Amino acid sequence: MTLPTTGINTIAVLAGCALFGALAGAVGTFVLARRRALVADVAGHATLPGVALAFLVAEALGLDGRTPWILFLGGAATALLAAALVPPLARLRRVGPDGATALALAGFFGLGAVLLSIVQSHPSGAQGGLRTLLFGNAAAITLGEVGALAAVAFAALAALLLLFKALAIVAFDDDFARTTGLPVRALDLALVLLLVATVVAGMQVAGIVLVVALVITPAAASRLLGGRLSTVARRAALIGALAASLGVVASLLGERIPTGAAMTLAAAALFLAAIPFSRSARAEAA
Amino acid sequence: MNAFLAIDLPALLAAVLATIACGTLGNWLVLRKESMTADAIAHAVLPGLVAGYLVSGSRSMGAMLAGAAIAGIASVLLSAAIRARTRLEAGASLGVVFTAFFALGVVLLETQGARQIDLDPSCVLFGSLETLFVAVPEGGSWFAGVPGEVWLLLATAAAALAFHALLAKELAALAFDPLHARLALGSPRAVERALLAATSAAIVASFAAVGSILVLALVACPALLAAPHARSVGGQLALGLAISIPLVAAAYLAAAHAPSVFGTQTALNAAGMIAVVLVAAVPASHAVARVIRRQG
Repeated sequence: MTLPTTGINTIAVLAGCALFGALAGAVGTFVLARRRALVADVAGHATLPGVALAFLVAEALGLDGRTPWILFLGGAATALLAAALVPPLARLRRVGPDGATALALAGFFGLGAVLLSIVQSHPSGAQGGLRTLLFGNAAAITLGEVGALAAVAFAALAALLLLFKALAIVAFDDDFARTTGLPVRALDLALVLLLVATVVAGMQVAGIVLVVALVITPAAASRLLGGRLSTVARRAALIGALAASLGVVASLLGERIPTGAAMTLAAAALFLAAIPFSRSARAEAA
Repeated sequence: MNAFLAIDLPALLAAVLATIACGTLGNWLVLRKESMTADAIAHAVLPGLVAGYLVSGSRSMGAMLAGAAIAGIASVLLSAAIRARTRLEAGASLGVVFTAFFALGVVLLETQGARQIDLDPSCVLFGSLETLFVAVPEGGSWFAGVPGEVWLLLATAAAALAFHALLAKELAALAFDPLHARLALGSPRAVERALLAATSAAIVASFAAVGSILVLALVACPALLAAPHARSVGGQLALGLAISIPLVAAAYLAAAHAPSVFGTQTALNAAGMIAVVLVAAVPASHAVARVIRRQG
């Protein structure tokens, strides 16, 4: 059995995926702490209309629609818009956060489905690859795409480290954070931006449907094991990197396994493995 | 045969019947702030559907639907068990479970004879309204050619309305006054389980035809469209369906026929178009309600 990409390429893809997994785990820790797990689902799905639109606009301008930065920008724009629409929708009478999440998810992904049907009839022929963005395909990724992924992930990780303390205070107690003069709304926006950077970076390998699993599951597994927020975040980054790497290897070996699905199953297996060691399980045993 | 009767009518019927089935149960889910549970179920049923096929060794609808329903219910119970044990928020425990189930389903589909099931993962997301058609057998009537999906959805829509009629009192007590419900009903858990089972059944019957994304829109939108106007649960359901059904039909027809007006051959994805129209109508309905209140 040989890997479709060998040598330096395989290592680059693995490293890129591990970096994405680490970012997803770390960002997911804060997303869970702010109880925004399903906003991550919205952000992931809501990249689809932006990606399809960016492809169509780029092709119309005579550019290559598959250029990673073009797809990143389009996906990030609609993901951000969808996440930003959730709070005002939730304030509508009798809608609430649950209804607002459902509306944003169904509306943006539905729009993505409509635009994707236009992309598929596009004469350029380059659109074949756009469908792999649904479930991810690490075997088809180019070195340029890995580079773009790594650049976004590095920038987001650096921003996360810079904001770590402020985000941790907000996650722990937003009322306290407000009284100490921290800009809670700006920090929440920063967290949404980090989340959008994460789903965009993971789009090509994890796919936009299942990228949410890499945000939620490693962070949830890490939370089971307890500890301070900084410990949980570091451990979540490790679990995320491990899940992403295992997933990539599995999908490169088994040709027909979409990378996003393999990463999700690896993360779920790690979550299951963490349950016996969870704080409440240990408390019961004691 | 007329193209409308052969192609558009079965798809329209499937979409409208799915609206009735999902919207009727979704009315309760929206009241209980649980509409995202429907999204989780719509994803989690996939491995059960494929396993039902693999176990029965045939494309038997019964085995596939049973497998799907079991997977859907199991995912919700599993996520409740995780929540009880780990104190994760509801969204997180739901997210862990439904992504894992869905990923398992995608892997099974891709590796275990997806070709025979003729279901591909993107069909699961975007539905297959475009592939429904009436194939009238020689000498038979139009009804003889109606696809099985439409009959299944008809039965499901009727069952959903019957469920609403039978359990409306208990479900309303649970939604508005849980404490009273516990005293009066004896076992509110049984009513909640019944709602979960009925929801799963409606989603399983709908999602192969309309796709997981439209299932979510059909669960949430009818109730949310009617919410700013309605004064009772039954009123919210009736008004929600009355607003949604014409929107669903219009959106389907727009997706199927508007592109040819502009001179292109390809139809737009119908499930996506219906979801977009229903979702966009919700803030519009709220704006109308505000205008009415101001004048009244």
